[in-house]
Amino acid sequence: MSEEWHDVAMTVDGAPLQARVRARHLLSDFLLEQAGAGGVHVACGHGVCGACTVAVDGLAVRACLMLAVQADGTHVQTVASLSELEGAPRSGAEGLTPLQTAFRQHHALQCGYCTPGLLVSTALFLSHHKAAAAPDRAAILDHLNGHLCRCTGYANIIAAIESVLP
Amino acid sequence: MLAGGQSLMPLMTRRLVRPQLVIDINRIAGLDAIEVLPTQIRMGALVRQEEALRSAIVNEYIAGLAEALAWVGNPVVRQRGTVVGNLVTNTAGAELPAVALALEAEFVVRHRDREETVPAAALLGAGSTLAPDVMVTHVLWPRRAGPAGFYEVARRDGHAPVVSALVTMSDGECRVAVSGVCATGLSCPSMARIIARDFPHAPPARDLAGALERDLTGPVYGDSHSSARYRLEVAPLVSRRAAGLMAQRAAAA
Repeated sequence: MSEEWHDVAMTVDGAPLQARVRARHLLSDFLLEQAGAGGVHVACGHGVCGACTVAVDGLAVRACLMLAVQADGTHVQTVASLSELEGAPRSGAEGLTPLQTAFRQHHALQCGYCTPGLLVSTALFLSHHKAAAAPDRAAILDHLNGHLCRCTGYANIIAAIESVLP
Repeated sequence: MLAGGQSLMPLMTRRLVRPQLVIDINRIAGLDAIEVLPTQIRMGALVRQEEALRSAIVNEYIAGLAEALAWVGNPVVRQRGTVVGNLVTNTAGAELPAVALALEAEFVVRHRDREETVPAAALLGAGSTLAPDVMVTHVLWPRRAGPAGFYEVARRDGHAPVVSALVTMSDGECRVAVSGVCATGLSCPSMARIIARDFPHAPPARDLAGALERDLTGPVYGDSHSSARYRLEVAPLVSRRAAGLMAQRAAAA
């Protein structure tokens, strides 16, 4: 595949960014290495685990399955934009969002490596359901299919998500 | 050819393919439409799986497609992955190619100098491949309403299926799609006749097993997920369950 360089412009967590990327450069590596977005966790690197999930123009995307050059002209949001993605303010001494607070209260993470991707896609999943009825257990399980967590066994993640439902 | 990238990107990352040139079609205008034609539904190459799954047009006019799509990948993958991309990738065991065969879908194939419409079987059957300088721009689904049932056995929901089956009934005609038995998807008219015969009851699995033997298009394959013997044994049971789900839908309608 082409080793050519491309100029791209996008916003990452609200900040405008211009950069030069190789055609083969993955969005996940670009966000980590060139955009300084440390909240993007790369685990499997080929679309299985969901840890690197970010929002591109408001849709959840596995950053390891998209090329950086494809994100030209888009708005990329990582876990650093979680408050915006949830549409809810941060609160408390540590400035946690409602979803982060729920994850902490329900012990929905241990090592935390899968957590940023889970938070981003769960925030979008819940915002898509805001207009319609609250998601049932089956819809939550379908949603979690896209994320591997090797610590929690998922039970606490499900409990955390259910605790923030209206 | 890069659309959703949910199949191509992992293949490139793992160096299983090393294309010299990748063409990203994501910004081609108009390819993201689902259109109602007189006898068919036309779906462009950029229609995402999740969009199709939630489309009122798909749910009204293409019996069985939404039921099958709900089992493909997971919501994040489906938001990016396309219906056409999943079909033309034609991964062994994938659900949708079998569905396209059984529902008698067609593809619009664009060559350098012309466009042609070909039956799904011409691209998704055993041994067929696309020439490197052509592109599938649309899939055409016949308009058929009716109840459908889908069932699948997989190691884990949302992961590669071992065996899946779709059963639909429209205007008294039964159609059955089975994936994961032969390397390519199967349309199973013999099993469909047995299911139609016993409708609204689910037929005995042994009758389906006999019919499946006649519907095979090649050798039954096995891999590290499950043996050929297991696939052949479970496929009639999966089809029977899909038939039962279809009958339940029919009764509820």
